[in-house]
Amino acid sequence: MEPVQKESAGSSAAPTRDVVVRLFGPAADALGAPSVTVAVPLGSLQTGAGEVTCGALRKALLREVPALRPFVETGRIAVSHAFARDARRILPDEEVALIAMVGGG
Amino acid sequence: MPVAGESVVSIVDGPLGPHVPGPAEAGAGAALLFEGIVRGDEAGRPIEALDYEVYEPMASRELGLLIGELLGGEGILAIRAWHSRGRVPVGAVSFRLLVASVHRKEGLRAMDAFIDRMKRDVPIWKRAVVAGA
Repeated sequence: MEPVQKESAGSSAAPTRDVVVRLFGPAADALGAPSVTVAVPLGSLQTGAGEVTCGALRKALLREVPALRPFVETGRIAVSHAFARDARRILPDEEVALIAMVGGG
Repeated sequence: MPVAGESVVSIVDGPLGPHVPGPAEAGAGAALLFEGIVRGDEAGRPIEALDYEVYEPMASRELGLLIGELLGGEGILAIRAWHSRGRVPVGAVSFRLLVASVHRKEGLRAMDAFIDRMKRDVPIWKRAVVAGA
């Protein structure tokens, strides 16, 4: 499967940073790709100027990648191999993954 | 149970081999062993194997955190977990959990809690390999 890049449908003037999100299991199957790249709006002065948060990433995924909606709504974002809350800032060199519908054991 | 320095979590390629019991944990009145075996059907369809996808190092980290948390429970002396990665045929073992506890009841509770939490939190996925596909 090839990675997928999604173009932002929002305002072309809003600054964004591309975030690569690794996908696994049913989420990867739904998109037909092991990862997806989304343009995430950078934070405002109030929310963290120039920074990308997990919450903003989640919103960008819901907006830009409809096929992943059920997985984003029920799953969790992991940053640097640990579950992260919406307020967690994502540094440019950190690995991000969507963890949804796990089923080991 | 693990000797000093031995990891309490192992991700193993393919099916797990036979369990080789180690020395009993000091103070343990119960040594509990659970093995998850690949069944011959998934959602009503006959299968020939399960393919396990494991997101490392997060899976090992989460399993380790889970073990650490449950070891804080009263009477739980040791926990060790193994999980397969890749293809595991029907009838083979894909998951093994060892719990040593002072008494039976807390060991069984910890074992049950571990498996429930693992199925909820640990980034491991399985895909059915349909028979004859």
